[in-house]
Amino acid sequence: MAAVLANPIARRLLRIPPSYFVFLVLLATLWIARPNMLNLNIMGIFIRQIVPLGILVLGQLVVMRVKSIDLSGGGIILLINYFISSGSFPGASLPFFVVLALASGLVIGLFNGFMIGNRRVSAVIVTLAVSIILVGLVQFLSSGNPPGDVPKLFNDLYNTKFLSVPTPVLFWILLTAAVWLLLSRTVFGRYVASVGENAEAAHFSGVPVQRTVILAHTLAGLIAAIAALVQTGSIAVGSVRVGLDLPILAVAATILGGVVFGRGDGGVWGPFFGALCFALLFVVMTVLGIDEPGKLIAQGVIILGAAIFYGVRVRTP
Amino acid sequence: MTNLIEMSHISKAFGGSRALHSVSLDLKAGGVHALMGENGAGKSTLMKILAGVHQPDSGEIFMNGEKLDLKSPRAALDAGISTVFQEHSLLPNLSIAENMFLGREPTTRFGSIDYAAMSSQTAKALGELGLTLDPSQLVSNLTIAERQFVEIAHCIQADASVLILDEPTAALNAADVDVLNRNIRRLRDKGKAIVYISHRMKEIFELCDTVTVLKDGALIGTRMVSEITTDELIAMMVGRELQDLFPDRTDDKGDEILRVENLRITETSRPLSLTLHKGEIVALAGLEGQGQQRFLRSLIGRYHPFAGTISINGKALKMPLPASSGVRHLQQLKVGFVPEDRKDEGLFLALPIALNIAIGLHSRRSELAPARPYRNVIARMMEVMNIKASGPSAPVGSLSGGNQQKVLLGRYLAADLDLLLVEEPTRGVDIGAKSEIYHLLRDFTRKGGAVLVLSRETIELIGLCDRIYVVHHDTIVAEMPAAQATEHKILDAALTGGSTRQH
Amino acid sequence: MYRSLFNILSGRNTRQGLWGLPLLVALLISLWLTVETTQFATAENLFNLVAQAMPLIIAAIGQLVVVLIGGLDLSVGSVMSFTTAVLALDQPAIVLIPAVFVLAAFIGLINGLAITRFNVHPIIATLSTQYIVLGVTRILRPVSGGTVPEIVIDAVSGSFLGVPYPVFWGIVVILVAWKLLYGSRYGLHLFAIGGGIASGAESAARNFGVSDRRNIILAYVVCSCFAAVAGVFLAGRIVSGDPNVGLLFELDTVTAVALGGTQLSGGIGSLHGTVIGALVMALLANGMNLANVSPFVQTAIKGGILLAVVGLQSRKKMGL
Repeated sequence: MAAVLANPIARRLLRIPPSYFVFLVLLATLWIARPNMLNLNIMGIFIRQIVPLGILVLGQLVVMRVKSIDLSGGGIILLINYFISSGSFPGASLPFFVVLALASGLVIGLFNGFMIGNRRVSAVIVTLAVSIILVGLVQFLSSGNPPGDVPKLFNDLYNTKFLSVPTPVLFWILLTAAVWLLLSRTVFGRYVASVGENAEAAHFSGVPVQRTVILAHTLAGLIAAIAALVQTGSIAVGSVRVGLDLPILAVAATILGGVVFGRGDGGVWGPFFGALCFALLFVVMTVLGIDEPGKLIAQGVIILGAAIFYGVRVRTP
Repeated sequence: MTNLIEMSHISKAFGGSRALHSVSLDLKAGGVHALMGENGAGKSTLMKILAGVHQPDSGEIFMNGEKLDLKSPRAALDAGISTVFQEHSLLPNLSIAENMFLGREPTTRFGSIDYAAMSSQTAKALGELGLTLDPSQLVSNLTIAERQFVEIAHCIQADASVLILDEPTAALNAADVDVLNRNIRRLRDKGKAIVYISHRMKEIFELCDTVTVLKDGALIGTRMVSEITTDELIAMMVGRELQDLFPDRTDDKGDEILRVENLRITETSRPLSLTLHKGEIVALAGLEGQGQQRFLRSLIGRYHPFAGTISINGKALKMPLPASSGVRHLQQLKVGFVPEDRKDEGLFLALPIALNIAIGLHSRRSELAPARPYRNVIARMMEVMNIKASGPSAPVGSLSGGNQQKVLLGRYLAADLDLLLVEEPTRGVDIGAKSEIYHLLRDFTRKGGAVLVLSRETIELIGLCDRIYVVHHDTIVAEMPAAQATEHKILDAALTGGSTRQH
Repeated sequence: MYRSLFNILSGRNTRQGLWGLPLLVALLISLWLTVETTQFATAENLFNLVAQAMPLIIAAIGQLVVVLIGGLDLSVGSVMSFTTAVLALDQPAIVLIPAVFVLAAFIGLINGLAITRFNVHPIIATLSTQYIVLGVTRILRPVSGGTVPEIVIDAVSGSFLGVPYPVFWGIVVILVAWKLLYGSRYGLHLFAIGGGIASGAESAARNFGVSDRRNIILAYVVCSCFAAVAGVFLAGRIVSGDPNVGLLFELDTVTAVALGGTQLSGGIGSLHGTVIGALVMALLANGMNLANVSPFVQTAIKGGILLAVVGLQSRKKMGL
């Protein structure tokens, strides 16, 4: 194995995010099994479904670049969905909900960042704990039953199209481009790259390590809030279960996209295709008659497989 | 006496850099064999191969004429080779007795660890060293010297036939050194083969029978201690023309840039003061672990000194500097800190050379500012520093040690700073790159910069610097102009604590 | 005497961690419940409490083993659910009971191999297996149902000399764990490896000739097997297979371990601390049930406790 990995061509191939290969394989599978599904309208609907995941991936990849992780997205999505659907704010306008959502995401992200960056608590523990606290609170407030309806405007917006491409998909692409700009063209992007690669060296180079980690988590919280708004628009009703599996899917898509803890070879578009892979994967699995449990197994196998892929690669100098 | 161990034509490389080249070493039963050489000469690597920590790329090891295959530390221990490593290897959360028997614990009939047997044998081994420590005490509660003795007791207890002592006296005071030497002689008389690595000449001549000198990973020679003088030994270790390596000194001293007054590194240490002017390279010399590094890192807030003031360009720093933002604060005052360990603390090995150099410039700007490419700065640095790489986008990890070190230094030279605090400027770097680095530092001071440098290589400090402060026991004990300094004078001050302080 | 009491309460100069304080907390909660409610201090409630706490105690001891080497196992809850699902497969007990342990050991082996051989972070490796095992469990048993073998039900519901069986389960499990951690070379090697990892010298134990890889793999196998024991116990209590019964147990075990004074960075911790930690959790749950606190709020409170106890432990490095 080591001999194969030492081969320069093999090493170059290893640099390409696995998501591109997986995407092609899934596309080919679909083309063979259901060629008639490969048209813009049908694919648009499938891709639109995973836009909340795709957006959440953007936050996940930023925190994973600084060797952290954020599993609190499920709680944030549930909380914001509750705010919008519970009727606690009768007659509130769309901008009000957007501001409320972003503020909630900001506060939760900031808290995560403070605990992880400043108190140095394990990121998995902090964000999982935050998530179960939020889930517990929402379920208590709604007594375990789904709250009411979402203002109609959310779903109407979600259903619009621009040049026959669903607006949410366009929005996702724009947001991805924005994060790409942030990471590749700003000083913050350089801070993220350096902290992820070697926090100690970043410290001695004058990079504000703690602040970078806190900012990354704050950004992830904000992005999770945006994902929550889109998710709420997509299901159009209140729910006590919505989005709970998204954080782990986001981790899987990010790793599949070539971004692992501290390393960002996949950039932003690798994870973008990682999320697309899940859109196709769900279609392929539905076509092949694989249910919910099969999807859980697929998630686990993908994370483990991709992590082993990188673990082996890091070993070879 | 017959050869107990024969190491024959051992070679070892780490990544691209050659650590050992065809080195042979014979150890005799009942002998103390000194291994000498500058830091980085390959002594530790050679001993780690004998201890099974590293495996040689080529070469063979024989014990009593039979070939040994030391695949792991366990294999070496089983063969009767026991080591006290330079870096402390005891586990802090285990007791003394547990550390002594770790990996070969005696068990009772029921498979439990026989703590009673461990305890009594540990007490016995400690007793032989004249120590009365409680074997059930956790190692985390011991002083450095006590830990050192426990490590030695560990070797005695393991009943090894070969003992490797890597700088065993670095942390010991004179009385403890006497106890240790007595024990080493006793072990020698019992027929053990002992390898003794030390920089202290006095100990070598008092204790050892044979001495082998390594330099730059190659064997220089093996002599009987009784047939060699100190000067000859130093000549073997040094043996190179210093003048060619180092740039000329200059006399133009500018304004004072750094003033440290009555700084006490720890609560118990004596106060130290020093000054540094623009255009100067000033050294902190001394034996290892005497507080030089702690002092330098106190300046950037990593450690909090107990008392004293630090002024930069005449302005006193607000003490204590916070550990998390001290580096950034000093950066604003145009002071940079170049850490010793370039792999763990210095470089981003997987990232391009360009970012490794430019990060020092980026880090002075706000997060949302657009990242400038700094192409000219990077190209200039790579040219001035003669960095051999395929281009600025090559990952630093793909470069040789010397070029890596130049990239690290380049980050700080590019960052438009006035004062550099440099730890070990040339660790693990070949001769050619060393010379280039010396010239780069001198060019920096010629342009009005100042450098405070610490190094384990005394010869390097004498050749490179204008003035030398000698550090002993967390304080400065002597100051001398480098032009008049010799290794002997520095070592004398570093060993004795410099009863005569000269100005 | 005074000094050693201080050491115990402060967790200093010992590698057992801070376990005196949670013991005090447990006693205070018990006292408060005794005074405040009439139901608490009854034999029935106390035995019930032990039975309720038992799965957590058993699983938390398994978690302790991997935490001691600086790891974490997030697949514990899934393994528990999986065990109940396998036990409800309608096969003879003689097949099923060995099968659950073989399968659990296999899951632990995958975790251990991924971590040691393939350089995967423990949290990522066990998070993956958590999902894979959960998926397999849901295939075996999409919703709760089926019946587990009689012998399993009998083993947790009977009593001997007036003492219910769960108490004996506790005694046996603790004795086995005690032997493993304090009465064997393996236990000491776990502390040694963890101490090395926590102090940043990962190869320290290896230099003593302690094989870290093999011991780490074994730790994950042991952890999974303890989770399987907890699963068998739970299966006996609920009489059926349930794909959700182990939900959030991975976090509850981490809370119990950390609450008992064990450092998540490795090398410092104790068995009794972990048992006390699990008991505190059970007492809180018991108290909250007696006080009619909503189960959703209870979940949130557990999350808060986890955040608090782990947040109070200082680490050298930040990260996962």
